[in-house]
Amino acid sequence: MANPADATQRPAPEEAEERIPIMQHVLENPFLLLFLGVAIPAVFYIIWGIMEIVAIPIAK
Amino acid sequence: MSAILPPSKRIWWKQPLDKIELTWIAIAFVWALVLFFMMPYWHVFGKQNLSNEAYRISTESYQKKAQDMVDKYTARTETEQKIPVVHPPAGSDVYLIARLWAWWPILELENGQSYRLHLSAMDYQHGFSLQPSNINLQVVPGYEMVVTVTPNQSGTYAIVCNEYCGIGHHTMVSRLYVVDKK
Repeated sequence: MANPADATQRPAPEEAEERIPIMQHVLENPFLLLFLGVAIPAVFYIIWGIMEIVAIPIAK
Repeated sequence: MSAILPPSKRIWWKQPLDKIELTWIAIAFVWALVLFFMMPYWHVFGKQNLSNEAYRISTESYQKKAQDMVDKYTARTETEQKIPVVHPPAGSDVYLIARLWAWWPILELENGQSYRLHLSAMDYQHGFSLQPSNINLQVVPGYEMVVTVTPNQSGTYAIVCNEYCGIGHHTMVSRLYVVDKK
């Protein structure tokens, strides 16, 4: 793996105060990932699908 | 270095991306976009993935609608089961029932005319497959599917059930006639 350029490294004492990016928080939290992995498909497939089926009109 | 050790820097998010990895991601993403946009493209410009209307209906009501059409427009009967062949007026609503294990009635449509074809089942899920045009729709009880069809070639078409529906599923075939306008 290529070593990142040293210019992008921050000095060690400042790292403790540096804000951790949100996306990194998300990808580091396994239970959040578990929740998203269940909730996102459940909403977009199951719940959306049921909403569409319930909305089918009655035949004339 | 290793996937099971913690990253060497606390903030690994901002590490620069390797060029090869970026190229790989770009190719995969472009291909994913191609496949995604193929779906609406074929729906609009293709001849087989039709959009349909859908309504809830009871099996009794649907059977009555089909029977009304048969009572008005029967031209003759065919086959040993005496299935009516129906010739409805151009532009009208035509009804097809799927039930274990037959399609009823037989439709005779006019070339170049549009019809609203209604499909529903009386018992279980069936598959309507018009061959050789290869137009396929699922047919379920309790729901009435409507497609607007315009035959553009006269002849005899086969209707095959392509959703397994029981022991007689392989016998569930019928025909559809398209005749030239008299």
